[in-house]
Amino acid sequence: MADTGAIQSTVRSGAQWLVAALEAEGIDTLFGYPGGAIMPVYDALVDSKLRHILVRHEQGAALAADGYARVSGRIGVCLATSGPGATNLLTGIANAYLDSVPMLAITGQVASGLMGTDAFQEVDIFGMSLPVVKHSFIVRRAEDVAATVHQACAIARSGRPGPVLIDLPKDIALARAAARATQPHPARVPLAPNAAALAAAHALLTHSERPLLYVGGGVGMARAEAALRAFAATTGIPSVCTLKGLGAIDPDAPGHLGMLGMHGSPAANHAVQSCDLLLVVGARFDDRATGKLDTFAPGARVVHIDVDAAEIGKLRSAQIALAGSMPLALAALAQPLPIAPWRKHCAALRALYANRYDAPGTDIYAPALLRDLSLAAGDQAIVSCDVGQHQMWVAQHWHIHSPHAHLTSGGLGAMGYGLPAALGAQLAQPGSCVICVTGDGSIMMNIQELATARRYGIPVKIVLLDNACLGMVRQWQELFFEERYSEVDLSDNPDFVALAQAFGIEAFGIDTRAQVSGAIRRLLDARGPILCHVRIDPRANVWPLVPPGKSNGEMMDSAA
Amino acid sequence: MIQRLHVTLLDVEGALQRLLGTAERRGFHVLQLRAEVGAGAVCTVMLTLEGTRDAELLRRQLERLHEVREVSLAAG
Repeated sequence: MADTGAIQSTVRSGAQWLVAALEAEGIDTLFGYPGGAIMPVYDALVDSKLRHILVRHEQGAALAADGYARVSGRIGVCLATSGPGATNLLTGIANAYLDSVPMLAITGQVASGLMGTDAFQEVDIFGMSLPVVKHSFIVRRAEDVAATVHQACAIARSGRPGPVLIDLPKDIALARAAARATQPHPARVPLAPNAAALAAAHALLTHSERPLLYVGGGVGMARAEAALRAFAATTGIPSVCTLKGLGAIDPDAPGHLGMLGMHGSPAANHAVQSCDLLLVVGARFDDRATGKLDTFAPGARVVHIDVDAAEIGKLRSAQIALAGSMPLALAALAQPLPIAPWRKHCAALRALYANRYDAPGTDIYAPALLRDLSLAAGDQAIVSCDVGQHQMWVAQHWHIHSPHAHLTSGGLGAMGYGLPAALGAQLAQPGSCVICVTGDGSIMMNIQELATARRYGIPVKIVLLDNACLGMVRQWQELFFEERYSEVDLSDNPDFVALAQAFGIEAFGIDTRAQVSGAIRRLLDARGPILCHVRIDPRANVWPLVPPGKSNGEMMDSAA
Repeated sequence: MIQRLHVTLLDVEGALQRLLGTAERRGFHVLQLRAEVGAGAVCTVMLTLEGTRDAELLRRQLERLHEVREVSLAAG
């Protein structure tokens, strides 16, 4: 821990030390909701320059902090009171854990003497959150508060990022103490991978005839997109990516085959199945990406690059493990490769399986709408998805040019993510065009955050694809449960346009294909928050699809 | 399969909970635990576990816990 060794002459309360430490960390925005045990912190905020965004549910605070962190590359901070406030944060904390997002979650706690007595609004949030945090603290002395904040921020940022929880008992927040002044910890830079392993990887690459890059979310978290793109350009190795890896490689790059996996492109999945060397960069062989694991990339040797050594060999053993700095590893391995026939094969796959948008009928075809909206919004636009069919349509059809411009709940798959994450993203980049693509199921999970958008005038553009059902569950019941539909009907949804307007949000609806271009223009021209309700066919499915338990080579492209 | 791990970690709040929780969530059953806090608030732990997953992978998963200083797989 970095410290000056000097004693601060100013005596502060624990809450004031907390706020001062956050300011010293360069944090400027907090997302939270006050309550009993966290009140001393809210009192200290009155005298602070920190911007506090009052959400309408603590889950919204955590998810907004997540969106803020993904777009800004800085730590997202959320705070809540003890008990229900703390438990409401948990889904957002888990989301950050599974997607490796740097986050600081601060919870009030009942006074130290009451802890363990089942006091009012007491829960053991420290214990409850253990499986979904990178680390956690209960602060036991006011003089330790600032140092704990700095340590927590350093842990959240370092290596593979993740959420850190600080639980602050009320008496500690109120207690006054002179503390040793501490400073933010310097960033720890990952080391280069082992030289012998790099040499072995180099040899494998040289002898490979069909190498393929398998790109994951770790590239964006490491801010290694430029290094990856340079590597791909130098070597000419074709690429596929995971849901979280979208944008790390330019979608227009000729060797890029798109997303692999359950709803991936056939070009990507076929290339994986026929490659002889898989160069895994910041990916973790998630089951949604691999399908049936023991049939995944059956003829490939694996070179695995990751900052987290515990991810290497977790699900698929690697011939070469390169734990450490991704940019350094990629730079060390870059060399032109004589793989023209393989590149030609992959280019043919890309052309053969290019997306088509000529669906018959006059109903709104969601993939075409999303493609048109993404092109109209431009390369710099940020899209924040909810979870379900629309999430996969965005992954398939949105032109994503940066991993920081695609916010999606990849690991946890948390419905309700899209709107609060969009709010956080917009606050991180006020000048950007931020679009939330959501569904009628998902938006109801955090619909209350429309009030946050209204209160702060956050100009997010919400596209609500309404199929009057839980579309992804309905699709699986149709395909894999013999059309025995169970609790997926949402045909009694509220009037979403009227509901948004009740929150003070501009809103309108469309239900025919002819209205799409006008709707896109209205969305993009809006200066404040706006919601476009889009009625789509309840029977629409996401294609292609790898059935559960099947190999990625066994893709379905219709229900027939 | 029985595995024995020797762990050195800082004796901070929640350290043992985190250690045991990680082992259990990653698919191992804790058969025996011996822990002792020594000088410098350093805790040494001998864990005997049963599981079918790769113990070397668990070793790396434990090693990334913030308070853990060293993990080694013991012979036998």
